[in-house]
Amino acid sequence: MNGTINGSINLVGYGLSAIGGAIGVGLVFAAYINGVARQPEAQRVLQPIAFLGLALTEALAILGLVFAFVLK
Amino acid sequence: MIALTLPAQDGGTFNPPGVNSHLPAFFTIGDFEFTKQMLLVLLSVVLISWFFIAAARKGKLVPGKLQFAGEIGYNFVRNSVAKDVIGGKDFMKYVPLLFSLFFFILVNNIYGTIPYIQLPSFSHVGGTYFLAALVYVIWIGAGFKVNGIRFLKLAVVPSGVPWYILPLVVPIEVISNFLVRPMTHSLRLFATMLAGHLIVLIAGSGIEFLIMQESVLMKGASVLVLVGSIAMYMLEALIMVLQAYVFVLLTAIYIEGAIHADSH
Amino acid sequence: MKNLMISAATAESENPLAPNWWEVLVVACGFAVLMFIVVKFVVPMFEKTYAERTEAIEGGIAKAEKAQAEATAALSEYKQQLTDARAEANRIREEARAEGARILADLKDKAAAESARITEQAQVAIAAERQAAVVSLRAEVGSLATTLAGRIVGESLNDDERSTRVVDRFLADLEDQGTSKQNAGALQ
Repeated sequence: MNGTINGSINLVGYGLSAIGGAIGVGLVFAAYINGVARQPEAQRVLQPIAFLGLALTEALAILGLVFAFVLK
Repeated sequence: MIALTLPAQDGGTFNPPGVNSHLPAFFTIGDFEFTKQMLLVLLSVVLISWFFIAAARKGKLVPGKLQFAGEIGYNFVRNSVAKDVIGGKDFMKYVPLLFSLFFFILVNNIYGTIPYIQLPSFSHVGGTYFLAALVYVIWIGAGFKVNGIRFLKLAVVPSGVPWYILPLVVPIEVISNFLVRPMTHSLRLFATMLAGHLIVLIAGSGIEFLIMQESVLMKGASVLVLVGSIAMYMLEALIMVLQAYVFVLLTAIYIEGAIHADSH
Repeated sequence: MKNLMISAATAESENPLAPNWWEVLVVACGFAVLMFIVVKFVVPMFEKTYAERTEAIEGGIAKAEKAQAEATAALSEYKQQLTDARAEANRIREEARAEGARILADLKDKAAAESARITEQAQVAIAAERQAAVVSLRAEVGSLATTLAGRIVGESLNDDERSTRVVDRFLADLEDQGTSKQNAGALQ
C-alpha cells in the first residue's frame, strides 16, 4: 500500500482554521439558547443579535476558505 | 486540483470528484455555455412564479389547500422575518425583496436534494455574488436614503466608545461592515452548497468505487458509506433550508441596521 | 451515473471563487423576472387577501357589537314597557277601587235618601189614614153612640132635631178631649 494523496495543503490549513469559527458559532448559539431558555419573551430581541454574531464569527471561517483557494 | 476520472474496474486508485468537476454544457453559443445551473435557475423562477400566483390568485377569505400553503410561505417571510426584524411601519417595502430572495434561494438549494437534479444552483459562486451585491446595494442605499450622508458616520462609529479608541474601532467597523459583510454573505451560501453537494457526490462515487472492488469486505464497506451518506444527505437538506433562512435573515438584519442606524 | 460524473473538461486549476459571468447574468435576469412578478402580482394579491380578511373579521365584530347594542336597547325598552305597564295596572286598579268606593257611597246615599223618602211617605200615608179614620169615626161614632145611648135610655130618640142637638153637644165635649189627646199622640 503505497498510496499517494494529491491536492493542496491549503485545504488542511482551512480545515484547521474552521475549528475556530466552529467553536465561535457554537458559543454564540449556546448563549442564545441559554438566553431564550431563561427568558423566552426575549427571543425576538436576541435572534438578530445571535445571527449577527453568527455572521461575524463565520466571517473568519469564510476568510479561511477564501485564502485556501486564493493563496497558492 | 483533483480531477475526477472514472473509477478503475478493480484495484485502481480512487479519484474523488472535486471542485473542478463540472457537467458539460447543454449547448454553447460562442463564449456562452448554457449549463445545468442556468437551466435550474430559470426553472426555479418559473416554479416559484407559477406556484405563488396560483396560490394567491383566488384570494379567498377562507383559503383552500393551495392558497393556504402559499400563505404559510408568504407569512413566514412577511411576519417572522420582515416584521420581526425590521419592524415598524416600513417593513412592507422590503417584503417583496425578502420574499423573492428566500424562495429563490430555497428552491435553488432544494434542487440539491432531489434525485436526478441533485445540483444546488448556488454551488457555483456567480449567483451568490450577484445576490449579495444586490443586497449590499439595497441596504446601503436604504441607509443613505433614511439617514442622509450622516449614515457614513453612524455606520462606522459605534456610540458610547471613548474617542481615544476610535482610531482602532473605526477601521474594524469599516472592514467588517462594508467589506466583510457582502463577501461572507455570498460565500456562506456558496460554500455550504458546494460542500454539501461535494459530500453527497463523493459518497456516491465512493460507494460505486467500493461496489466495483472484488473483495467482499470492500463491498460490505460500501453499506457503511451508504448509511453515512444518507445521514449527510439529511443534514444537507436541513442546511439547504437553513442557509436560505440565514441569507434572508441577515439581509433583513442589515437593512434594519441601516435604516435604524441612529438608534444602534 | 458514470456518464454524469464527467471529468473536468475545463481548465485544470480553475479557482472556484472566480465567477462565471454568464452565470451571474442568468441569475440576475432570472431574479429580476422573479422580483418583477413578486412585486407586481404575488405580494399585492396576498396583501389584498389579508386586507379583505382583516376587514371581514373587523366587520363581523362591528356587526356583532351592533346586534348586541340592539339587543340591549330592546331589552331596556321591554323592561321600560313592563314597568310602565305595571304602573298603568296599578293606576287602573287604584282608579277602580276609588270608583267602586264612590259608587258604593253613592248607592248608600241613594239608599238612605230612598229609605228616608219611603219613611216620609209612609208617615204621610199613615197620617192621612189616621185623618180618614178620624173623619169616618166621627161620622160613625155619632150613630153608634146614639144607638147606644138610645138603647141605654130606652127612649126613642128618633126625633132628629133633638137627637142632633144632643149629639152635637156630646161630640163637642168629646172633641175637646180628643184634640188634646190626639196632639199628645202625634208628638210622640
